[in-house]
Amino acid sequence: MLAVLAIITLPLIFNDTYWRTNLTICAINVLLALGLDFILGYAGQLNLGHSAFYGLGAYVSTLLIVKLGVPFWGAFAAGVAFSGLAGMFLSLFAVRLRGHYLAIASLGFAVIIYQILLNWISLTQGPLGIYGISPPPPIAIGGTVLVDFRNLTAFFYLVSAFTLLVYLLLDQLVRSPVGETLTAIREDEVSAASLGINGAAWKVFAFGVGAAIGGAAGCFYASFVGTLVPDAFFVTEAFNILAMVIVGGMGTLIGPVFGAILLTLLPEVLRGIGDLRLVVYGAALTFVVLFMPGGLAQAARIVRDKLGFGGQTS
Amino acid sequence: MTTTIVLQQAINGVVLGSLYVLVALGLTLIYGVLVQINFAHADFVTLGAFAAYFLMHLVGAGYIVSIGFAFVVGAVLGWLINASIFTPLRRKGNELLPLIATIGVSVMMQNLMLAWFGPIPYAFETKYSSEVIRFAGIFVSWQNVIIIAVSSVTIALLYAFMKFTFLGKALRAVSQDRETAGLMGINPNQLIMLTFIIASALAGMAGAMLAPVLVLTPFAGTSVIVKAFAIVIIGGFGNVEGTILAGLIVGLVESYTTQYLDPGLIDIVVFGLLLLMLAIKPTGLISERREENV
Amino acid sequence: MTAAAAVETRAPIAGAPLLSARGLHKSFGGVRAVSDISLDVSSGSIFAIIGPNGAGKSTLLNLISGIYQPDAGSLSFNGHNLSGMPAHRRVRLGLARTFQKIRLFKQLSVLNNVIAGFHVHHKIPAWQYVLHGPAFARDQRHCREEALRLLEFVGMTTRLHVLAGALSYGEQRMLELARALATGPRLLLIDEPAAGLNAAEVDVLLDRIRVLRSGGITVIIVEHNMDLVMNVADRIMVMEYGRHLFQGAPAEVQKNPAVIAAYLGGELA
Repeated sequence: MLAVLAIITLPLIFNDTYWRTNLTICAINVLLALGLDFILGYAGQLNLGHSAFYGLGAYVSTLLIVKLGVPFWGAFAAGVAFSGLAGMFLSLFAVRLRGHYLAIASLGFAVIIYQILLNWISLTQGPLGIYGISPPPPIAIGGTVLVDFRNLTAFFYLVSAFTLLVYLLLDQLVRSPVGETLTAIREDEVSAASLGINGAAWKVFAFGVGAAIGGAAGCFYASFVGTLVPDAFFVTEAFNILAMVIVGGMGTLIGPVFGAILLTLLPEVLRGIGDLRLVVYGAALTFVVLFMPGGLAQAARIVRDKLGFGGQTS
Repeated sequence: MTTTIVLQQAINGVVLGSLYVLVALGLTLIYGVLVQINFAHADFVTLGAFAAYFLMHLVGAGYIVSIGFAFVVGAVLGWLINASIFTPLRRKGNELLPLIATIGVSVMMQNLMLAWFGPIPYAFETKYSSEVIRFAGIFVSWQNVIIIAVSSVTIALLYAFMKFTFLGKALRAVSQDRETAGLMGINPNQLIMLTFIIASALAGMAGAMLAPVLVLTPFAGTSVIVKAFAIVIIGGFGNVEGTILAGLIVGLVESYTTQYLDPGLIDIVVFGLLLLMLAIKPTGLISERREENV
Repeated sequence: MTAAAAVETRAPIAGAPLLSARGLHKSFGGVRAVSDISLDVSSGSIFAIIGPNGAGKSTLLNLISGIYQPDAGSLSFNGHNLSGMPAHRRVRLGLARTFQKIRLFKQLSVLNNVIAGFHVHHKIPAWQYVLHGPAFARDQRHCREEALRLLEFVGMTTRLHVLAGALSYGEQRMLELARALATGPRLLLIDEPAAGLNAAEVDVLLDRIRVLRSGGITVIIVEHNMDLVMNVADRIMVMEYGRHLFQGAPAEVQKNPAVIAAYLGGELA
């Protein structure tokens, strides 16, 4: 409930365009991080190519709108579905490969998608990009406009509401036997199979869901920024998303939220240092791995325990 | 006419391929002893290129000397990264964390280079790039001759080292079975450090030689590394002969794709190959099977 | 204790063996791990597979449980042909196992490890996984109660919330047993249960296995220590170098000269 309050009040506090833009990007990044964490942290699959799903969602939905005139929410659904399918395709590799091989396969996949977006100029206009993408259509009743998404605050509420919804659904899901199943597969697939768990099917599921969420983030990104270029989905973006998940705390749901918020806002806060601010990503990632592998979520737990708050440890 | 083109591209392919082999060998050696993938390897390549560039432009050193310099820079960096990151992480025994740590280092290095050197590509030219030998209608720049010469010598030396010297055999022992090697009086940690240093030095050197061919930005390594990974997998993780073979194949594939298809498709073709390989025979072209014990 | 009914099983056909194997072969890279093995296990019995290390016992168990597929031969369980059937589907037919090298979920608590075993039994409509409703709550309650009952069976009710990784070796073995039982098997495969246990723990384990048999669960034990299985098995098969050496009641096995020769080195009672 705190989250809802925070979401509602934040844009009112930061009432300049710059910060409101950042908040929206934050929300989009949270979505990306949640999707990746579902695959990586919960199902334990080494996916280093999440940028592919981000990009596919963005391009598929945008192209449908711009070239075929499909209405926004229809294109959104299509973008999400397409990314989900792409995720399931990649999961076929996950079924056959372990650990490092999968990592490289997913990386290769992301590179291929990026190259396709970059080079299939007749379809995507390549590096020139697609311009003038409009935000979702306003919500109107009988001619009176209730919500206009060209308004930054309104768009922020839209994205955050969606993200919150995704978070709540994922939360319920991981607290159900599905969560246990994914944990089992992550810990020991052979052992899980001895309990009747079909590892392959669940991997397809995890990838599908995680990728679909990434695709949704892409759809929002495209309509938010208004311009779409392939470079936004270069492979390094996958590493950035990874950093958010790890720094925040892999395998928890609140972790990606922390990580995405921190790593989105920190470079902005550090603008003073100039170009060195992006180093923060790498530094944060390395230090977390070395000293606190559970990320911010682990740190939060330690603080909470020290302060004497009880409550279950997940 | 067409045979000349084929031969010309063959030479280009071998040039590229041998450089890829240098980079990939480092990766595969590290994987062999550590069972770890070092994502920062790419950035050693980039750094090697920049090191050579600055040596030549600031100090006016010759190209060949700069290649040696890049070698040394790579070695030092390798020592540093292993000591500060891999050794402490190894005690935790997790498979995923060291991988991610290398990603962190890679991101740090790339952005540091971005801050220091800027995003605009540097033009790297040496007096060798413009001078050309010509025979049977084929043009080979002195640059490429140097590359082939240096790479083949290095690869040959490395191969001999691995097969015939005690240290080389010890390296292979550690990659097969670390515990037993340890029991036989080989210190795995020292060996791992040695491997790292050699691998990183090779990467730096390859960077210096690739510099004239690459678009020299802080992200130059990324384009090479993913291909290097492809080579390592196609050749088989930890397998030296396979890597050499795969590297040459990829180099040739790249030059022929450039010639007959479109340069933009290079990555797609190479990765398509990679994914195909992973789908059919993940253990690589020349590989030994390792069974998992249940 | 009663076992919860497995999901897809039919009641065993009286008189027919519960598990049948004919001519199983399995090689790894040219090495024959299992060679022409046939056996029949009757319902409600305890069947032991023994042999020295390297005899192929674990491989045979892996073939039965479905981790490996045989190069040749057939397997039939409760009237189902197991050819090509992956391991996780065999669990639904009522076939469960434990592992020689303990494979618990170390990051989960004792209770949650057992609950994980109920995977094939959940009765929750799909939407209630995302929006927890009454069927969900009922299922969770039921799982918890069953898990407690199983943990009581193995004597671990005081350790419910301890992480599995923190347990002693003996406790881990018992936990693995409870977890396997959670799947509601008709046939339980136990791989080298005594490894690492002291004498007292072994006795408790064998006692629990006898109770399982009286509850109608068939058990196959793989062991290399013959003394152990002597007083608990109804029928013993001896393996050596992947091949069938001898099969029969414990008393016969003890007297068989080939078996005695194979066991030179004194594991014989």
